[in-house]
Amino acid sequence: MVRFSQRLITVGKGDGVDYPIWNLAMGGGVLIGIVAITHVIVSHFAVGGGFAIAVIETLAVRRGNPAWRALAKRSSLMLILVSTVFGAISGVGIWVTIGLVQPAATSALIHNYVWGWAAEWGFFILEVVTALLYYATWDKVRPRTHLVIIWLYAFAAYMSLVIIQGILSFMLTPGRWLETHSFWDGIFNPSYLPGIVLRTGICLFLAGAYLTLAALREHDRLARAPMVRLLAWFQVAGILLAYGGYRWWEHVLPESVRAIFLGGKALLPALAATRHLALWALAAYLLVALFAALAPRSHMWPTAVAAMLAACVFFGAYERLREGARKPFVIRDFMFSNGILVSDIGKLDEHGVLATAVWAARGSAASQEAMGRAVFRAECAACHTIDGYLSIRKLVAPVDPDMLNGILGTLREEGKEYARGTYTHQGHVATDKLDYPLMPPLVGTAAEQEALAVYLLTLQPSHIAEASHAQ
Amino acid sequence: MPNSLIPALDPAPLPGPPWLFQVLWVLTFFIHIVFVNTVLGGTLLAALAGLAGEGRRETRTLFVEVNSWAISLAITFGIAPLLFIQVVLGRFFYTATILVAWAWLGMLVLLTVAYYLNYVAKFRLRAGKGAGAVVAVEAACFLAIAAIQVTVNLLHLQPGRWAVVADHVWAALSDRTFAPRYLHFVFAAVAMAGALAAWVAVRRAAHGGDAGACRAMARFGIRAALVATLLQLADGFWLLLALPEEVLRSFMRAGAATMAPLGVGVMAGVLLLVVLAGISDPLAQSTRVRRVAELVVVAMAVMVVTRHQLRDFYLAAARAGEQVTVAPQLGPLALFLGVFVLCIGLTIWVLVRAAKDRPAPGERAA
Repeated sequence: MVRFSQRLITVGKGDGVDYPIWNLAMGGGVLIGIVAITHVIVSHFAVGGGFAIAVIETLAVRRGNPAWRALAKRSSLMLILVSTVFGAISGVGIWVTIGLVQPAATSALIHNYVWGWAAEWGFFILEVVTALLYYATWDKVRPRTHLVIIWLYAFAAYMSLVIIQGILSFMLTPGRWLETHSFWDGIFNPSYLPGIVLRTGICLFLAGAYLTLAALREHDRLARAPMVRLLAWFQVAGILLAYGGYRWWEHVLPESVRAIFLGGKALLPALAATRHLALWALAAYLLVALFAALAPRSHMWPTAVAAMLAACVFFGAYERLREGARKPFVIRDFMFSNGILVSDIGKLDEHGVLATAVWAARGSAASQEAMGRAVFRAECAACHTIDGYLSIRKLVAPVDPDMLNGILGTLREEGKEYARGTYTHQGHVATDKLDYPLMPPLVGTAAEQEALAVYLLTLQPSHIAEASHAQ
Repeated sequence: MPNSLIPALDPAPLPGPPWLFQVLWVLTFFIHIVFVNTVLGGTLLAALAGLAGEGRRETRTLFVEVNSWAISLAITFGIAPLLFIQVVLGRFFYTATILVAWAWLGMLVLLTVAYYLNYVAKFRLRAGKGAGAVVAVEAACFLAIAAIQVTVNLLHLQPGRWAVVADHVWAALSDRTFAPRYLHFVFAAVAMAGALAAWVAVRRAAHGGDAGACRAMARFGIRAALVATLLQLADGFWLLLALPEEVLRSFMRAGAATMAPLGVGVMAGVLLLVVLAGISDPLAQSTRVRRVAELVVVAMAVMVVTRHQLRDFYLAAARAGEQVTVAPQLGPLALFLGVFVLCIGLTIWVLVRAAKDRPAPGERAA
């Protein structure tokens, strides 16, 4: 039955915990991270590379310079292999992995942004066709037509970024969407423009760093120096844009996230350390790029590779920060990383998380331990594995029953505080005020909490030893 | 059927009328499957090109060169149906993929390997070297991808099988329609690639290509299409009879809506056989060769519709109480349509411009 509604969203009918759980030793989040970071590096290179190659070929045509033309031609094969092959496959890879690891969040995103993604797909068609055409028409069409093709590619690739940035930034700073559930409020969220500036800078410097490696293959030293210099300025411009964008991005983040970034929680040093790494890598990169711009003949393979590494370190660290800053949410202030909606906490506390988590509870015996295992699968398994990444066995090993009950009790109490909005600040949950700012709260009934404690205690080495001895 | 294992409907409303998603889904899936069949069937024929005799190298080169853009386009046009299935049937689709998660993820690895192998084959062939083994491995990768796709598709249609597959993942292959459905796709792909090879050979011969090689390639293509279509007709009936009884009954009782596409598909298949059987010298019968290509496309188009209708019958019971809420996002929908028209327009314009623009003698080329 289809019902048309003026309401933009109906929260609370379904819960995000009723999908099967894929047990992955490395952790689903790590898998998403690997695929996503690989894809973003490749896709940003594809955007910046198209623009850089377009500039280089334009200069080559205007100046009649065969060396510049050769650089554009040499780089175009890499653009194809990276953009249309690896970029396309890893892009689909993100869909595949988030659908496997975070189906509820993926479904929420797709229901809100399918037209955005579909528009991006339109640009992607143009991007892929022009990339293939550009490579195939070397030596076959007039230079003007060839330039039209690569500039169209650059346009399409950049527009694809302009759209997708709206969805990516929405997950961290949904802004007014939380009240209106409007597509446009979600897309033009507080970190949208800062992210565009930042990512534009990243596109430029990644392209400059890679094309410098291609330029160094030019044997004629006289021809090589101006190429290296131009590409170095490309990188300097990119680094400055990225730095400005990064600072702006940090500025628009909720205060609680910034507090954690800046070391506000002594127990959570990882994000602050990652932030330092990102900024120091960018500073080092700026020095190398300036060196290349001012002394292009001395900029050889070691410094060019160092520049590329610094570029990737900054970008990787930024993406890690962005993902980390979102915790414990997958869509900030709306859905936790285990798929549970903030608005469902009260209902789940009353009826129990296992009332809807049929896959997590499937096959469980009637014992308290089995019930606890099901609660673990429903609420914790999205991030924690038993013995692999964020191993729960290692985490509970040094904990005694009283302490464990205390931790779980605090986590459950935090759920109530989320529901009550106790720590809300300027419309956001002030996660830095919580004892466990990166963990989703424990929701469900008191019996489920007790069962979880019983199950977790069975994972302790002493319990296993006792069980073996008894056998 | 343990409907309780079916996740709840996403609480967010559909951002457009369901019929629009269905139309876009079918349309984009058709474009996707045209490229998929080109890639799958083409790679299989490239691997079997040794049977083409004189035109062996030309046939292999044709498909390897075609693959270098067709794989990209198959992936690109696969994105849209992937989006739309998630909007309409996300809870069934996600569950099916999670149940065979490693295979679903492994598909990406296979795709990457196959794509890069195609580039290896392409550069080897351009260098005058052999590429038979490389193409054979590439074909095996694509066959495996097709098997994974069929598995996930069958699984998302049948929530009643989820519990068994959750306990024993290999049970995902145990559906009795798996083999005929899988073969149905493979035969369609081979028939289409065969028609493509014959059509290209006829055009090349008309433009002064080596008549002997073109004739061998055309004959090989026609032979492949003939054998595949013959097997397809038998397999089609096997698939129909292997359908679950309630699905078959609902399908047959739905009247012209389901019988017309199926009937047109079967007729196109039979006609295809007649036309193919009548081709003795493809180069001298270019009109017939073109008819073959047209009939293959018609058969594929109506079979895509039939496939989509069958999905509704499979899921009818599981979706019986579904209360779908719709809140159309008209602005974003206009954005999509505007961007789509603009991008398709620009794509066609630039392709035409590149095809027509050739430097005059003595003029500089890019």
